[in-house]
Amino acid sequence: MTMREKIEEAAARYPDQRSAIMPALLIAQRQHGYLPGPVLEEVADILGVERIWVYELATFYTLFHTEPVGMFHLQLCDNVSCMLRRSEDLLRHLEEVLGIRKGETTPDRLFTLSTVECLGACEMAPVMQVGDAYHGDLDIARIDALLDRLRAEAGHPAAAAAPPGE
Amino acid sequence: MFEPVLLKNVDVQDGHLLSAYEAGGGYQALAKVLRQDTPDEVIDLVKQSNLRGRGGAGFPTGMKWSFVPKRVDRPKYLCCNADEGEPGTFKDRIIMERDPHQLIEGLAVSAYAIGAETAYVYIRGEYVTAIRRLEQAIAEASAKGYLGTRILGSDFNFTVHIHRGAGAYICGEETAMLESLEGKRAQPRLKPPFPAVAGLYASPTVINNVETLVCVPHIVTRGADWFRGIGPDRSPGPKLYCLSGQVRKPGLYELPMGIPLRELVEEHAGGALPGRKIKAVIPGGVSAPVIPEHGLEVGMDFDSLAAAGSMLGSAGVIVIDDATCMVKVATRIIEFFHHESCGKCTPCREGLNWVVKVLRRIEAGEGAPGDLEQLDRLCKGIFGNTFCALGDGAAMGLQAALAHFREEFAAHIEERRCPFH
Amino acid sequence: MLKVTIDDQMLEVEPGSTVLQAARHLGIEIPTFCYLKRLPPLASCRMCLVEIEGLRRLQPSCATAVTDGMVVRTNTTLIDETRSSMLDMLLANHPLDCPICDKGGECELQDMVMAYGPRRSEFRDPKRVFHSRDIRLSPVIIMNVNRCIQCQRCVRMCEEVVGAVALGTVEKGMDTAVTGFEGSLASCDQCGNCVEVCPVGALMSFPYRYKARPWDLAETDTVCPHCGTGCQLTAGARKGEFMRVRSKQEHGVNRETLCVRGRFGLDFIESRDRIKRPMIRRDGALVPVSWNEAGEYLRRRMSAVENKAAGGLASARLPNEVLYQFQKLMRTVFRTNNIDCSSRWSVPFDTLGPLAAAFHSRAPLDDVIGNDCVLVVGGNVTEENPVTEYLLRDAARRRQTGLLMLSPRPSRLDADARVVVRVPPGGEAASLASMVAGLVAAAGPALPGDVLATIEATIRPMAQAADEGPARVAAALREGRSVAVLVSVDLLRSPGSRATLQQLNNLLQVLRLLGKGLAMQFLFDRANQMGAWDMGVLPGALPGLQAVTDEVARATLAAAWGTEIPSEPGVGLDAMLELCAEGRMGALYIAGTDPLIAYPDRDFVTRALGAADLLIVQDTFLTDTAGMADIVLPASGYGEESGTFTNNEGRIQKVRKFREPAFEARGNLSIFDFVAALRSRALQPSTQNEIFDEIARLVPAYRGLRQDALGADGTFTTAVPTSPTGEFVAPPPAPTATDALMLITGNGLFHNGYLTERSDILNTVANDPYVMMSAPDAARLGLSDGDQVVVRSAGGELTAQLKVDRQFPNGLVFVPENYRALRLNSLMRRGEYPCPVEVQGVHRTLEVERTSRVWRGV
Ligand SMILES: Cc1cc2nc3c(=O)[nH]c(=O)nc-3n(C[C@H](O)[C@H](O)[C@H](O)COP(=O)(O)O)c2cc1C
Ligand code: SF4
Ligand code: FES
Repeated sequence: MTMREKIEEAAARYPDQRSAIMPALLIAQRQHGYLPGPVLEEVADILGVERIWVYELATFYTLFHTEPVGMFHLQLCDNVSCMLRRSEDLLRHLEEVLGIRKGETTPDRLFTLSTVECLGACEMAPVMQVGDAYHGDLDIARIDALLDRLRAEAGHPAAAAAPPGE
Repeated sequence: MFEPVLLKNVDVQDGHLLSAYEAGGGYQALAKVLRQDTPDEVIDLVKQSNLRGRGGAGFPTGMKWSFVPKRVDRPKYLCCNADEGEPGTFKDRIIMERDPHQLIEGLAVSAYAIGAETAYVYIRGEYVTAIRRLEQAIAEASAKGYLGTRILGSDFNFTVHIHRGAGAYICGEETAMLESLEGKRAQPRLKPPFPAVAGLYASPTVINNVETLVCVPHIVTRGADWFRGIGPDRSPGPKLYCLSGQVRKPGLYELPMGIPLRELVEEHAGGALPGRKIKAVIPGGVSAPVIPEHGLEVGMDFDSLAAAGSMLGSAGVIVIDDATCMVKVATRIIEFFHHESCGKCTPCREGLNWVVKVLRRIEAGEGAPGDLEQLDRLCKGIFGNTFCALGDGAAMGLQAALAHFREEFAAHIEERRCPFH
Repeated sequence: MLKVTIDDQMLEVEPGSTVLQAARHLGIEIPTFCYLKRLPPLASCRMCLVEIEGLRRLQPSCATAVTDGMVVRTNTTLIDETRSSMLDMLLANHPLDCPICDKGGECELQDMVMAYGPRRSEFRDPKRVFHSRDIRLSPVIIMNVNRCIQCQRCVRMCEEVVGAVALGTVEKGMDTAVTGFEGSLASCDQCGNCVEVCPVGALMSFPYRYKARPWDLAETDTVCPHCGTGCQLTAGARKGEFMRVRSKQEHGVNRETLCVRGRFGLDFIESRDRIKRPMIRRDGALVPVSWNEAGEYLRRRMSAVENKAAGGLASARLPNEVLYQFQKLMRTVFRTNNIDCSSRWSVPFDTLGPLAAAFHSRAPLDDVIGNDCVLVVGGNVTEENPVTEYLLRDAARRRQTGLLMLSPRPSRLDADARVVVRVPPGGEAASLASMVAGLVAAAGPALPGDVLATIEATIRPMAQAADEGPARVAAALREGRSVAVLVSVDLLRSPGSRATLQQLNNLLQVLRLLGKGLAMQFLFDRANQMGAWDMGVLPGALPGLQAVTDEVARATLAAAWGTEIPSEPGVGLDAMLELCAEGRMGALYIAGTDPLIAYPDRDFVTRALGAADLLIVQDTFLTDTAGMADIVLPASGYGEESGTFTNNEGRIQKVRKFREPAFEARGNLSIFDFVAALRSRALQPSTQNEIFDEIARLVPAYRGLRQDALGADGTFTTAVPTSPTGEFVAPPPAPTATDALMLITGNGLFHNGYLTERSDILNTVANDPYVMMSAPDAARLGLSDGDQVVVRSAGGELTAQLKVDRQFPNGLVFVPENYRALRLNSLMRRGEYPCPVEVQGVHRTLEVERTSRVWRGV
């Protein structure tokens, strides 16, 4: 299906096209990796809604990115439950081994490192989301192993072709 | 011995599949109400059960349903609040991942009761597995005739759509969720009109939490008396408790409403980590005021916790031990609210920003005399004056921390450093 | 009625009233930021919190409905503390850069802090800073987000009142910022209403920025010179130099709104092509001379043509007094009824006169559109009368008024309409006839038998039964208890305008016979078009829209003026030009208007003007027409002369002078005196005040008005309705569809006449001249949005950029008038509208592949 078809299919779930802006942005982000202006315009166009409405939502919600992110978006939870389980140490470690600060992307565009609010998986704190997957009960050794795995995946041609972020 | 019902499928192999759900007696409640109950009878049953909303506010579910006008010329909607953003809370995720049909049955029975033919399940966007499982379950249930038109041979038609959130805690607030569903920035709406009268697309709308909805089929099959027999009469039922933080056995526990917090933390969850002592517990997600160790006898139900100056909230129980700095905890919690404030009203948007700046300074050892009074004043300016309960929750939590652990705050200012470092 | 007690005072209010409204009624002040009268409450600023007995928390009074027996307190210590606390929080991150803020001195935040605020703040931490330099959102709007207090008045104004949905709010929480799509408002209406309602210095007018302190401005309340809506505004000048326009919060049809032309389009008065001195034609060229020399020249030239025909054309933007005096000058000194007030079309007065006399209502627009049905005929109200459109939108959204739109041109208001009927240009009459037929078919028995029979015989056979749109309009009209019809004068462009007016007359008569509450007003695109008609700047009508042939009316005026009035009706602009072209016109006197750019068939107009024996042009600006004149007399411009305008509603309002005439310009009235004196005549009375009094004596609808009693909201003129004609005229056949593209024109949002084109500010915000076309037509011709295209007719061609519009109907091409350089009128032919054209691409603009701009991942 083309992006337009996917968006139109999502829009059919609602009596009002405006409701479909959020699902449309998710679809568009999956397609393009992030949501620059022309993509927002295209979404507005497909749905026949005001451009500013699309822009408002793309900036209100934290899962939408108007700037590019790396192939793997490391989203480490640092909310209370994870903090109580020392997620700070993991953040420091990640910053060190990746050579970037939180909010930044590695020069090879492989990793973007962010801290996020509670992921709703506090039973396995500390937790980090990478793409669709949650990784829980983390410690430094597990983080290192995970990074190795991701790097290997990136080297793999199939992985390189996959859309980033998710 | 208390027998779990809400979690009984959770550890079953492939419990998320329809076959497993049916094997455990699934969809019997739906069949039963479609066969023998009028919608009003279902509402009455839920009223009799004294079921109160599990999303945080504890509003009586049957009463909420009865506010929906019976005859209107617009469609009615059921919205399931699966946004689960309250830090320390993960119960809805586990249900949706491991037992999604339980939610679908809850939705179908509830929709039947209020006369809705469409439900939107608003799931937070991070819950990718839950979304997939639920999508799969909807497909299975539709194929099997539990969803769709003329369900199980009755006149009841019902469709469930998933609306995926995109990262904003405020979407858990029910009117903000409606705005979000309508494709707007998720900011709470003025009430009245209440959603039951004019909600989604200005149509009558009921919003319920996942856990609330999954209680409903059990009430149908086991009866209102069974439900009321568990825990305190005015706040009864089986309850999901999310244990996290500095506790030996974090995880999801199904136990009766009203169970003493101490029993929950120390017996069921194994108590403090080795070598540590419990200092305080947040009983209901970070919106709930912290309870110091000496208050742990309190019962885990809406009324008892309210009387103790806290709240049951989402039952996200966060355990904090004596090695942890309360200023740091308080700061992190306020940072959360500050980050998640929708920005609509002045006291929440501006007030929390101010609070964050002062708290960060204190935590960093740069506090000044007068800072605590300033925080007191700010909390007073915020509490009760915000548009929705987000700002209130933030202010209440900080007030409690300041009240119970004032010396820790004062020590930071006096020593110009964190005593825990 | 509900009883409420506020601070121990009792009041009874209507159900649905808010506590805030009740308090204001009692004169109790409650501070507000986010509240704005014409918008639904938002209740986000929390300034207006009050105590309500029995409720635990403070409640926002702006959004709390009074319940019976409610007891409210607004004056407790808790409230004082709360207000001060809200302000303290707002100030915490506010930059407090008042000394360099445009708003300083008229800032609601400043005022509020003075009244309720903390005297000191404990806040010592670094403030949030969004940006260090102001953000230029558009050529006229500049934003300082640091100062924004998030009341959202601007965003709501933009969406709910203006309907533009250009502004929005991005990010959330502390990062929340108001802005346009991708940080730009480049393609918005530029109405600046967002700037107007901003309580602080966040949204600012760029042209006014850093120009003046509010207390240095001399402010004059006056009326907008641009369209017939007649918005009130306040012009601010410093030391005689024009600085800015603001709207007046409570007054006029517009209240706190204006459109881009009113708010930003007054700088035309500073235009560089002001005529500085009188000029006469010498050796083929216009040369500046003194007023005396000009007088001598004119005396000579006038006596040479004394025995030939004369004619006069005046702008419908001149004040009533000037227009009244102009027609008096023409009728008594030049002894002719050849007078007109439009340089674009002719008015079929024989049809218009009776229609207006029978149905035109002089009443507040707000009342008129409060009717349950409003039928808007012709034009594009969004672009022609933007502020009228705001009111219509409000009626549709909040008062459940059913909007019924009938026009060839789509408009933004269509989105709020109950029925939209798209007709081919010239097809209005047929469509109206179908409505009449539909009404009669459904409600026939309610009509008197003879009327029914006439209609059955004349109109029914011509109506297209299959037309679904008119049928739906008819159904809506039949259900409505009261109906208002708003008629765009854009209809007058068409040679079929008489038929359209006839069918309107039919429709209105039927509605009246059906017992509907009825109102009819015109949507004029010139500020004083109503006044121009009222003042008798028409070949067939004397002041008061009384026919020239009306002996009594003529005799009354002649007696009052102490001189004869020619009894033969005159001819309108088209026939005057014809007279010129045939060499039969002696003096043609043109005041304040430019037919050479406006009247269809530029070649013809050029020939005609060139063939007049004596072309007198009295104007403020050197127009194309002035360029052909034999003598050019510099007149004072808008803002340099006081008088009155009569707007579309029939509301007469004062236009006030706010500066002296520039250079050697003289007031229009004194120029008329000057010209009359050259013929040894005196026009009595001759001052603006006296002329007003004469109008109030002699023009029936203006009878008894006193200038000093016009008041802040103006006063309504009153016409005594006459009974309708009782005739029902058959419609012409609907225009047959052709394959040719048809060119139509009209006003754009930014330009509606030659004044706007002289506004530097409007020129910077206006899109370049454009050609609008439907998407299917563009596709058929292989054209795409943004292409340069040539539009070619039998008469000429023009080149402009193509704008493909989704709503635009197939088969039509729209090019806005008033882009002088386009010479659009050279494509058009007199007596023909619309104009068949061909459209071709010039060359393809470089196409940027859309997706190539999109990042596709690693
Ligand atoms: C700031 C805020 C966040 C909330 N978040 C959630 C949430 O994540 N999930 C939820 O079920 N209810 C949440 N609520 C409560 C809902 O507003 C609402 O009361 C609940 O969904 C109603 O369902 P219930 O009656 O079944 O509890 C939140 C409320 C507030 C004020
Ligand atoms: S309290 Fe106010 S700013 Fe905070 S989330 Fe609620 S409405 Fe938004
Ligand atoms: S005016 Fe009432 S909350 Fe702003």
